[in-house]
Amino acid sequence: MILTIETALRGAADILRDRIAPAVDDTFVGETARLAGMLLRMNADWVDDAAAIRVAENAVLRALFADARSVVSDASLAARLAEAAQSGDPGLRVSELDRESNRLRGLLTDLHLHVEASDRSFDQRIWRLLEDFEAARAPR
Amino acid sequence: MEARIVAYLAHRMPDASDIAVDDLHQIHGGSSQETFRLRARWRARDTVVKRRLILRRAPNAGLVVGEHHLEYDVYRALAGSDLPVPGVHFLELDPVWLDRPFFIMDLCDGKPGHPYAPGDPYDGHGERVARAFWRHLGTLAAIDHCAVGLQHLRNGMAETGFWLAELDRWDGIIAAGETLAQPALSGAIRWLRRNPPPAPAKPAIVHGDYRSGNFLFTDDGKISGILDWEMCHIGDPMEDVAWAIDPFWPMTRHLPLDDGLAIWEAASGMTVDRAALEWWRLFSAVKALAIWTTAEASFASGESKEMVIAMSALRAGHFHREHLLALMRARGAMG
Repeated sequence: MILTIETALRGAADILRDRIAPAVDDTFVGETARLAGMLLRMNADWVDDAAAIRVAENAVLRALFADARSVVSDASLAARLAEAAQSGDPGLRVSELDRESNRLRGLLTDLHLHVEASDRSFDQRIWRLLEDFEAARAPR
Repeated sequence: MEARIVAYLAHRMPDASDIAVDDLHQIHGGSSQETFRLRARWRARDTVVKRRLILRRAPNAGLVVGEHHLEYDVYRALAGSDLPVPGVHFLELDPVWLDRPFFIMDLCDGKPGHPYAPGDPYDGHGERVARAFWRHLGTLAAIDHCAVGLQHLRNGMAETGFWLAELDRWDGIIAAGETLAQPALSGAIRWLRRNPPPAPAKPAIVHGDYRSGNFLFTDDGKISGILDWEMCHIGDPMEDVAWAIDPFWPMTRHLPLDDGLAIWEAASGMTVDRAALEWWRLFSAVKALAIWTTAEASFASGESKEMVIAMSALRAGHFHREHLLALMRARGAMG
C-alpha cells in the first residue's frame, strides 16, 4: 500500500487529538493542539482531489467565457474573454492552479459586473455556477 | 511574563507594596486580541488587595485589528450604564512593558456559551440568557453615544450614511486581504450598493461583534459581562441585530426571533424595520467574509500562528460564502 499524504495527515491529526491534547496541562495549549488536529484533518480531506477540483472549475470558467462573447458588447472585455477561453492551466501544482483560478475569477467578476444589468439570464447562470463552485470546495 | 506585569503594576501603583502576580494563563477569547487571566495581590497602606484580572494584549496579526484603546474607551464609557461590562484599570500603549499595547480589566464572573459546542451551551438557561441578550442589545441601542463620551468612535459625528461608510470599510478590507478573487462576494457587495437600506431612527452604539460567545453568563442564567468590543463604532442598530442572528452563532436556537426582536424594541424604544434588517443580514455575511479573508491572509503570511485563526479562515469562510449565496438566492439572483 502507498502511504498517501491524506493518510499521513490523518495519523498526525489522531495523535494530536487522542494522545497529545489530553496530556497537556495548560488548557490553552491543549485546545491549540486539538485545533491543530482538526486543521490537519480538514486538509487531509482536501488534499486528494484539490487539483481535480481546480482543474474542473477552471474548465467550467473557460467554457462560460466562450459562451459570454455573444452577450458582451465591450470590445476590450470580449478580447480578454476570448483569450481566457482559449487558455489552459499552466501546470498541475495546486499553487499554479490557484494562481490561474484567481486570474479567471477576476475576469468572472468583470464579466458578472458587465452582464448583471444587461443580461438577466447570464447573470443568473453565473450565480448558479458560483453555488456549484462553493459546494465543490466545501470542507468535508 | 509575571515579573513584567509586576513591574508594570508597580509603575502604575507607586504607593502599593508587596505586589505579586500568579495563576497567569492565556485563554481563548476575542481572537483579535491575546487574552490572559491572572491573579494579582498587593498591599495598599494596611490593606491586602486581591484581584482576578484579565489582560488583553494586541496581537501581532490575526483577525481585523481594531484601535488598541478603543475597547478600553468603550468599557470606561459604559461603566455607569445598565450594561454588564467589566471594570477597566490600566491602558498601556507603550510597548516597552509587554512588547505590544495592552489593557487590564476585571475578570467577570461566569463563562462563555460556546456557540459551536454540541448540546446546550447555556446549561438549561438558554431562554433566560437569550432574553437578557436581546434586552442588553436594546439598551445599548438606546444610549446616546455623545452623552457617554463616545463621539470619537468611527462615524461618531455622522447623522446618516452609516450603511455606506461600513460597506466601504469592509469592501476595502476585503480588497486588501484577498488572494483568491471572490466573485460571489463582489456580486453581493454590488447588490448592497444598488439596494440601500432605509436610514435608522437614530445613530446608535454598535458593538460590532455582538453574538453568542462574546458574553459571559452565570449559573442563574444572567449575563454577567458583555465582552469583545474591538469593532465598536457608531452606526445603524440593525447592524448588531443582524449580526446577532447570523446562523453561524444562532441565538434563535434559544428564543424565537420575533420574541427576541420584541424585547429589543421594548428596550431600545425603536421599531425593527424588517426590510432594513434583511439588508443588514446580507451585509453581515459580507462583513464575516471580510474578517475570515483577513484571518486567511494573516495565517497564510505567517503573521499569525493561531490555530483558531486558520480554522476560522477555512471552515467559517466556507460557511459564510454558502450563507451569502443562500441570501442571494432568496433575492432571486439564481432565477
